[in-house]
Parts: sequence; structure tokens; C-alpha cells
Amino acid sequence: MATTDIEPGSSQRLDTDTRETVVTVVRHAVLLTWSVIVLFPLYWLASMSLKPPSEVNALPPDWIFLPTVYNYIQLLQNPDFIAAFTNSLVMVSASVVLVLLIGVPAAYVLSRYDVPMERDVLVWILSSRMLPPIAVVLPFFIVYRELNLFDTRIGMIFMYVSINLSLVIWVMKAFFDGIPETLEEAARVDGATRFQGFRKVVLPAAKPGIFSVAIISFIFAWIELLFGLMLTSFEAVPVTLFVYSFIGSRSIEWGMLAAASMSMIVPVAIFLVAVNRYLAAGLSFGVVLKE
Amino acid sequence: MSSPTQTQTEPTRETGETRVARLQGVWNEYLPVWFTAPMVLVMVLITFFPGAYNLYLSLIDEPTLNVFQAEFVGLSNFEAAFTLAGATHSLVITLTLVASALLLETVLGFGLAALVAGVDSDRLQSFYRILFIIPMAVAPVSLATIGRIMLNSEVGIIPYLIETTTPFAAPAFLSEMPLLTVILLDTWNWTPFMFIIFYAGLSSVPETLLEASRVDGAPLWRRYVHVIIPYMKPVVFVATLIRMIDLFRTFGVVYGLTQGGPGTATQLVSINIYEQMFINVQTTVAAAIAVVYLVMVIAICNIVIAKVGFKGVWD
Repeated sequence: MATTDIEPGSSQRLDTDTRETVVTVVRHAVLLTWSVIVLFPLYWLASMSLKPPSEVNALPPDWIFLPTVYNYIQLLQNPDFIAAFTNSLVMVSASVVLVLLIGVPAAYVLSRYDVPMERDVLVWILSSRMLPPIAVVLPFFIVYRELNLFDTRIGMIFMYVSINLSLVIWVMKAFFDGIPETLEEAARVDGATRFQGFRKVVLPAAKPGIFSVAIISFIFAWIELLFGLMLTSFEAVPVTLFVYSFIGSRSIEWGMLAAASMSMIVPVAIFLVAVNRYLAAGLSFGVVLKE
Repeated sequence: MSSPTQTQTEPTRETGETRVARLQGVWNEYLPVWFTAPMVLVMVLITFFPGAYNLYLSLIDEPTLNVFQAEFVGLSNFEAAFTLAGATHSLVITLTLVASALLLETVLGFGLAALVAGVDSDRLQSFYRILFIIPMAVAPVSLATIGRIMLNSEVGIIPYLIETTTPFAAPAFLSEMPLLTVILLDTWNWTPFMFIIFYAGLSSVPETLLEASRVDGAPLWRRYVHVIIPYMKPVVFVATLIRMIDLFRTFGVVYGLTQGGPGTATQLVSINIYEQMFINVQTTVAAAIAVVYLVMVIAICNIVIAKVGFKGVWD
């Protein structure tokens, strides 16, 4: 087979070879270009956060400089920053746990049981995300004042849950759909109850989905500005608001602003890199079932 | 057997056990109810309540919680909302932002995903994949920071690079082309979301399908048009739908970058509502705009769902 193939096919082979080389070169040229587009702003932000105040705005820029952690020390000595960062960490983490506790079981039911008007229920759930937050926040602003939930962590946690619930249900429903029902049925034949089947068979199988939906929920809550802007004033201020207050001020301390922004980006970036293996599988909305 | 101690303890233990068993039975039998009840509660609170409350606010004169004290003014708040200077303008630029950013992000995300999925080396592939999702970690507020630092006409690096390496004068991004700047920044920020979903979809195209078309000698583009893209339709639909919904929510990056300005150049509907509410303290007018916006967004989403549909997504 191979010997007969070489003679007549050789010129054609060369053709496909050169074409493949061209494709590979173009491919990597485009990918490298996009890498630069992705990295340059991040590099620039990081370098500004590490420059001493005298060099921050130098033009032409000091491409080579002695990095200093001056801005980060300033930031860490600011009690407002520490408070806002802690607030965000606590509120966002709590909201992710809560939204998973509420959303994952609901998604399981939507996947496994005959829910009446299932499609309408799914669209209704998604419609909660269609509400522009600015339209949602006004009623909550007024009611929170009455219920003493204004400027509290509990109040903010609830709002963060509200942003993410629909996404958790959509992604997890698709994920459960991809897990064969025979797995639980086998467990039930062995005497497990429905709940045990869910907890011991389905949940472990859905781990990649849960990981990725957790990280996505974390990101969406972590980056949220509007709810913090309107529903907090002092006690429960999230870190987005702290960064924003820098931008709003008249004379901008660029180095500090860059450092504060980096402090928001780095933890999430580390998270993303850590779960990146699951992310692709988890965000596939039920279309990807291998891996 | 019939000793008094036994007869006393046995029934209580039995009822104890049966009670646990009965509770377990109820728990398992009504599992769907327990599992969905918290979700339904939260969903009702976050959908019906804001909708109804906004509608109520938009119909009264002064905001009050007490329905009996409220003075209903008919549609005058809506009249004010529509005659407000810049009402249609903010709608037009919102739609411009949503449409152009969505198109850019979908095309770029798909292109990049296809290119990365075709990389031979597994290591290199996962390197690109990790790198390309990083911008998703950047909050709109931080993105506004980056934009302000890098595009600043006096101290920004990008105008400086344009001036020194090309013969062109650098545009003043934030004052001359603010909306385009917002669109490009959003594209930088959220193309990763499309990229990762499309990448997942592409790597799920069954080998057998690809193999078959390869044996037929179909060139690469033909394989995309006839095999891969049709297979990817559901993924593309869900991804663009979710991204479109989120684009309608855009607030943070614009607020941090331009605060709706200069003038009203980037005054999205969400910024407009915010200003009516907190700067002009026209709560009821703000509620009227919110109601109109709400109805519009939900209508657009429903049209998209009905037209393109769930077909092939889950059934």
C-alpha cells in the first residue's frame, strides 16, 4: 500500500505539505498577535503598579526600571482597601456557596423529572438575567432601606445570588442531561434512595460542571459594580467600589490605581488557570460530553 | 418478652424508627419539591418583585412603599421618559454597542477557537487556551482603569506608540471616539467567554464525522461549512444569547471610563436610568425608563429564542 502510494502521489503530497506549512505559519502568526493583544494591557497595568511614582507617567516610558512594591505597601496600609477586599471575598464566596446549594438541586430536578412547561420554566429562569441590574436595583434599594438590609453583607450576598442563579441552573441542567440516568438507576436497584443516588452518584459525576459554574459565578459577583454602588455606603462596600473611588477622584494616583486593579485581577486569574481544565467541559451547555 | 421494661421501650423505639423512615419517605417522595422550592422563592423575588415594583413606581407621583398613600399619575412618567432629551439616543447607542460587540466577539471567539483547536502540540494548545481566557478575570472597573491609563491622550502608552511608530496623529480615544473605545474594550474583555465555549464545542465534534469528510477529500473550509458549523449551531446559539443578555447589562466599564460622556456620547440606557435616579433624583421617571427597557430586552430575547429557537439545543 505504502510503496504503491509514493510514486503517483509524491507531487500532490508536496503540495499539501507546503499548504500545511503555510496554514501553520498563518495560524501561529494570528495566535501570537492575539497573545500580544491579551498580554500587553495586563503587562502595562502590572508594570505601572510596580513603578515608583516618579516614573509612572514618564513618556517615553521607562521600559527598564527597578520594580518597587511601594504602591502595594501603600495599598495594604489603607484600612479601607483591606475592609473592601475582605468584604468582597466574604460576600462573593458566601454567594457562590449559596447559589450552588439553591441552583444545583433545582437543575437536577429540571433534568430528571417531567417538569410541567419545562421550556417556559427555563426561559423564565433565564429572564432573571435579562432584567438589567439597574432596573432590579431600584426596588431592592427602597425595600432594603425598610428592612434594614441596606449596606449589609447579607443584602449584597442575596443580590450576588440573584445574578448567578440562572447561569448555574442552565449550565448544570445541561450537565446533568449528559450524565446517563442508568447510573442512578443502578444505585437505586442496590437500595439507594433517590437522594442518595443524587448525592453519591450524580454529584461526583458532575464535578467539572460544578467547578466551572462556581468559578464563573465567582467572577460575575466579583466584578459587579452597580449593586455595590447603590446598595452599600460604608459597611459592606465591595472592592470594585474601592477601585472605582480611585478613578472618580480628581487627581488620579496612577500607580495606586494600577495596584488596586491588579489586586482584583490576580486572584481571579489564578483561579481561572487552576480550573481551566474543567472550564471547557463545564461551559459546554451539554453539547460537550467527552473529556 | 412481655416484661414491663421491654414493652415500654420497644414501642417508643419503633415509633422513633418509623418516624425517621416516614420522614425519609416524605423527603424522597417529594424530592422535586424540596429541591426546587428555594429556587422558585428566589426567582419570584428577583423577577416578579422588581418588575411589579418598577411598574408601580412608574405610575405614581412620589416614591412611597404605602400603596394607599401613593398618588397615581397615569402615564405621565412615561411621557417624561420619552420626551427626555437623549432618550432615543441612549437606546440607539445601547443597541449599537450590543450588536457590534456581539458580532466582534462571536467572530473573533470562533476564529480563535478554531485556530487553537487546530494546533498540533497539546502543550501549546493548552498554553493558548489558558492565556486567552485571562481577560475574563478583569473586572469592568479594572478594564476602565486600563483604558484610562493606556489611552490617556497626555500620558497614555497607546497614543504615544501610535505617534512614534506611525505617521498618523493619535486620536483622542476617550473624547473623540468614546463608543468605539468602549466596544473595543468590551471585545478585549469578553471574547474569552465566547472563545472558551466555542473551543469546548469544537473539541466535541465527533471524530467519526471529521474522519468521514476527510476521507471524502473535502477541503478544510468545506469541512467547516458543512460539518463543523452545523454541528456547533446549538453552542453558538446559547453562547451568543447569554452574551447578548449580558451586553444589555453593560454598566461598570462605561461608568468607570467615561461616566456616560463626553456629553451623552456613551450614555447607555443603564447609565441614563442611573443618572435619573441618583443625580436628578427622578425616581419615578427612572422607573418608567426601566420598565420600557425591561420590556424591550425581554421582547428581543424572546424573539431571538423563538426565531432561532431551542431546536437542537436540548431536544
